[in-house]
Amino acid sequence: MASSKLIRADGVSKHFGTGHTQVRAVDGVSLKIGYGELVLIMGPSGSGKTTLLSMLGGLLRPTQGRIEVAGTEITVMKEAELPDVRARLVGFVFQSFNLMEALTVEENILFPAQLIPGGIAAARPRARELIERLNLRERRDSLPKTLSGGEKQRVAIARALINEPPLILADEPTGNLDSRTGQEVMMILFDITRDENRSVVLVTHDPRVEEIADRILWLEDGKLRDRKSEDHSWVRDPVCGMRIDEWTAVHTWERSDSKYVFCSARCKERFVEAPDQYVNA
Amino acid sequence: MMRWTLKSLGTQIASTLASAGGVAGAFLFVLFLEAVFLGESKQIVAYIEHMEPDIWVMQHGVSNMHMASSFVWDWKLDAVVEMDGVEKVTSILYVNTMVRAGDRDWFTYVVGLVEGDKRAGPWAMKSGSASPGPGEIVIPALFAESSGAGLGSSVSVADKKFTVVGLSLGTFSMANSVAFVSFGDLVNILSAGGTVSYGLVDLEPGSDAAAMARRIEAEVEKVSALPHPEFVRNDFNMAMRMGVDVVAFMRVIGSALAVAIIAFTALVQVSRRRRELAIAKALGVTNRSIYFSVVLQTVLITTAGYAVALALALGVAPMISLFVPEVTLLVSTGSLLRMGAVALVVAVIAAMVPAYMVNQVDPLTAFQG
Repeated sequence: MASSKLIRADGVSKHFGTGHTQVRAVDGVSLKIGYGELVLIMGPSGSGKTTLLSMLGGLLRPTQGRIEVAGTEITVMKEAELPDVRARLVGFVFQSFNLMEALTVEENILFPAQLIPGGIAAARPRARELIERLNLRERRDSLPKTLSGGEKQRVAIARALINEPPLILADEPTGNLDSRTGQEVMMILFDITRDENRSVVLVTHDPRVEEIADRILWLEDGKLRDRKSEDHSWVRDPVCGMRIDEWTAVHTWERSDSKYVFCSARCKERFVEAPDQYVNA
Repeated sequence: MMRWTLKSLGTQIASTLASAGGVAGAFLFVLFLEAVFLGESKQIVAYIEHMEPDIWVMQHGVSNMHMASSFVWDWKLDAVVEMDGVEKVTSILYVNTMVRAGDRDWFTYVVGLVEGDKRAGPWAMKSGSASPGPGEIVIPALFAESSGAGLGSSVSVADKKFTVVGLSLGTFSMANSVAFVSFGDLVNILSAGGTVSYGLVDLEPGSDAAAMARRIEAEVEKVSALPHPEFVRNDFNMAMRMGVDVVAFMRVIGSALAVAIIAFTALVQVSRRRRELAIAKALGVTNRSIYFSVVLQTVLITTAGYAVALALALGVAPMISLFVPEVTLLVSTGSLLRMGAVALVVAVIAAMVPAYMVNQVDPLTAFQG
């Protein structure tokens, strides 16, 4: 019988090392994610978010437990079978964009298409559609080094969608973007979930996404737990003015007994370059 | 994958060109070495190739001329000339020895010619006489130029002085030139009265050289007789054999050098592209496809290096011979094909080196910021 859930993870653990030095990056996590859901995985740095995401995407084998994606149990598959699963079922969006530097925007988008039946030729219409939809028409023949951060991330999203996978895994997709561009990227991911009935699992520290997420999972010390609303501690990013949850923020800077919290690395960089410009403003 | 592989090479154009250049250098080194040996070996047999009798008759057991010594009683050749189907037999005396011209010594075939007989003499002259009389010698023109000698100069063969009366063309070789003296002078040098070294047998038209050679060996006691093509082949092989070990050794050195260069380039390429390879793996590209990409890159670099070496070998070799006429270069199709096969093997071996690295690339590194 086909599963009604896109992802089923039961008792998934990932341990690194042995004995006294063993680290339980993910410890007995169970979760179910349905088709068309946008799920946020949040938690402090080092809590195992990326490790969990890697296991859901078939990049890392759990020490224990089972994971099923679209009815396929990937934890029992041979190593050589996993690349095909990743190409067909999963689209990845990374924090640092990870585009192929030698390839143009269109070639980058088409790159995963060569890994599935039909190949690049069959995927061209879909690539054109994504280029239009993500407003990349003018940059179609450009190389990644000439693109802005937002454009790079839009190309990465188009690449993740080219093979029409049911699952998109995004790891800090706004981490290297300014707040306005980050917001734009988030809305694209939201539209994908809504319009194409794809599931998006997002690892992020960006509290703005909470407003568009269907569910928020909190991972701490390798275990999932419910996130309570009163855990928020809202402060303002001194650069862009955005509201940020201080409790979960990763981009922070301390100066003269004051702690500043930022929505992104970009905002933090700007602040560190000329703090007085923002503090005295 | 193909497009990504090719374009990745293009983005690292400096290292790609440097690598292809290094490979070209290694291959060129081997190709030139082979060309020199082949050219010199060809030049060593130039004399016998140009004489072109139907049959060579020599001392029993001898089968070539280079580095050989042969003495046959002259009456045995008189017997050959009497045989049906034989038109003419030209006798030569021959010795491999040093000829001193100016302050230089040249290792030389000295051929003793029967006075007035032009059958076995030099086939092309720059100046002077082609038929040396007593006390006279014909030396290669290049030999004379390199030694500061000319017509009328004195040269010595085995401490006997000769006057240069002719300068021949096509008879010079760095390894073994050809000089001509009178038959009588060489008899005196060798103390070989009543003997000849080789008989150049011309047959009547329509005669079968192989059958006649067998007849000569059967009817004339203790002589060897070989049809011209076989004699030339024996001599050429003998000349080649003297350099074949050196060439083979150099071929191994050159190939190993090329393997090292390409393997190093492939390692650098894999190291530089490590992050992109991790991304490709994360997106679903298999190890096999990535390895194919690395092999393709090494094959392309090797092919480019081989093509450059080929172009330089074919284009520059004639110019070298033009500016340095003492060196005879012969780039053969066989040597080019052999180098092509070596290039292919080199590319595959070199690609094995980074295979382990490709396998070790962790797709999880794509998540690192």
